[in-house]
Amino acid sequence: MATFQRHRVTPWLLLTPQIAVVAIFFFWPAAQAMLQAFYVEDPFGLGRTFVAFENFARVLASAEYYRALGITVTFSAGVALGAMALALLLAVLADRVIKGAGAYKALLIWPYAVAPAVAGVLWGFMLDPELGLISAGLGALGIDWNHQLNGGQAMALVVMASIWKQMSYNFVFFLAGLQAIPRSLLEAAAIDGAGPWRRFWTITFPLLSPTSFFLLVMNSVYAFFETFGTIDATTAGGPGGATRTLVYKVFEDGFIGYDLGSSAAQSVLLMGLVGLLTLLQFRYLERRVQY
Amino acid sequence: MATLRLNALRKTYPNGVTALHGADLEIADGELIVVVGPSGCGKSTLLRMLAGLESISDGELAIDGRRVNDLEPAERDIAMVFQNYALYPHMSVADNMGYALKNRGVPKAERRRRVEETARLIGLEDLLDRRPKQLSGGQRQRVAMGRAIVREPRVFLFDEPLSNLDAKLRVQMRLEIRRLQKRLGVTAVYVTHDQVEAMTLADRLVVMNGGRIEQVGTPMHLYARPASRFVAGFIGSPAMNFLNARLDARLGGDILTLPCGTRLASPIPASGEAKTVCLGIRPEHLAVVPEGDVIDGDLSVRVELVEPLGADTLVHARLDGQDDLVVARIDGIRAVAEGDSLTLRPDPGRLHLFDPETGQRLAPMEPECQHSTCPA
Repeated sequence: MATFQRHRVTPWLLLTPQIAVVAIFFFWPAAQAMLQAFYVEDPFGLGRTFVAFENFARVLASAEYYRALGITVTFSAGVALGAMALALLLAVLADRVIKGAGAYKALLIWPYAVAPAVAGVLWGFMLDPELGLISAGLGALGIDWNHQLNGGQAMALVVMASIWKQMSYNFVFFLAGLQAIPRSLLEAAAIDGAGPWRRFWTITFPLLSPTSFFLLVMNSVYAFFETFGTIDATTAGGPGGATRTLVYKVFEDGFIGYDLGSSAAQSVLLMGLVGLLTLLQFRYLERRVQY
Repeated sequence: MATLRLNALRKTYPNGVTALHGADLEIADGELIVVVGPSGCGKSTLLRMLAGLESISDGELAIDGRRVNDLEPAERDIAMVFQNYALYPHMSVADNMGYALKNRGVPKAERRRRVEETARLIGLEDLLDRRPKQLSGGQRQRVAMGRAIVREPRVFLFDEPLSNLDAKLRVQMRLEIRRLQKRLGVTAVYVTHDQVEAMTLADRLVVMNGGRIEQVGTPMHLYARPASRFVAGFIGSPAMNFLNARLDARLGGDILTLPCGTRLASPIPASGEAKTVCLGIRPEHLAVVPEGDVIDGDLSVRVELVEPLGADTLVHARLDGQDDLVVARIDGIRAVAEGDSLTLRPDPGRLHLFDPETGQRLAPMEPECQHSTCPA
């Protein structure tokens, strides 16, 4: 007991750096945002007025906000499903490689080390309406690519760039998941008369479900928040707001429009939305992935 | 129900390692063949080649006379029980058992009927809705068996199916596997490293060593007439004693002389010059001789270690001129202490002689196996 008493302070000391980081970079700004959501502030921060829920009411009454919500849903679904499907395909293929497996894996993981803005610039350049190699190729096929004018194409561009960036992360987890499946299970299935395709869908895929579930949560959070850099560097929410996701709108309203109160209210709503989404995923999906 | 024929079956891996150097074997319909050998002897490779999980480098494998070398596992109509059971963790017991039937497009009602029938046969009726992780080791083993049985395959393959169970359950499941296999009459190949399991289960035993089949025969034939020193040492527990000896022709008969000076009548005639041989005597074929009853040919030893097993006692004793201790299995009632001097008498009809270089059996060679494929 004496030893236990003596060490009461030590755990806290050891935890301090981590707690400090979280407190300074998450709790404090989050608290500030929450506070700010109830005020209207002038652009120079010289004075503010308490307006209770007026910021929220304005946001929830604006058609722009619902449009951004719809765009976010499309964008997130596209990114999460696309990044997971492609990563799974690559992981299955990489899992079968015997020679030079290390090199393949290193190359496939590489994009994760690229900053979101750089990924955005890279894709923006490849698909640039005037200079881009891919857009020139598409032009030769009769497709007139111009994401600076065409909203659908702009969406496709940011989805592709975001997928490319996130795929590596998913790839690592899927590969680990695949390698954790005992070989004997697939051998048993082969003896039980299941061909490769059937083996994948009835054995491998269900056994990957904990990995897939985890990645679904992570990819949703990624698509909601971390794609800001990619969008900002390629389309800047345009054209005409076609790629203005909720997180981009928070930035635009707050730091370009200087409507800090509305921006804060939106970020509180966004935080709540992602929290709710994660909760739903845990409640309803996780139950189905247990075995 | 099927016959199997292995003709010079060989496995060489791409890195040049040969795991199997040409195996020849004929397996009769309904026979239970046990393949036994130490780790790395190629027994699992052989089984996996039968299953189609490993490709066949050379030679021919035929089921019911039809060459199946290039058939996929699914097309060979075999069922396999894995060491780790390989149950599908995300499926219920019933789905595990019905998986193969489902893959073949057996209608749902028929599938259900067959799964339930098999479950009754092996006592799994109450567990059909459980997931594998909710089962004990013994129950999982049973499900793995059930999954193999429900398919009504032509051949059962068992890859050390009992090695993850505790000793008591292992004995029980061993009997059950034997009973089921006989009742269903399905040809089976069973791989194990446990020679007791091998002896008790097998119709015929295949002893493997270093990627080669050493000997094939009934368990009792292998016990009584091991073809090589390896088989002699592998079959029987505790293992056979091997003693250095010299075989030469003397006046009045052919004589084996041990380094300690003891002379025994040789079971085979000496040919030409005197030569060194390896004399094998099983622990159970050494009897304790009462004092005063000692005759020529008895071994006087000094006891170094005593292992009482209850019914029997194992005595490890030093015999002059031998590198290893001699083990004798004697009556458990007899009081023997470490340091005692003891006289042991080998059973003269149960001496085995092996060539010390090649390890091949020298004598006696009379065959007593009924199977045509048994090597004489």
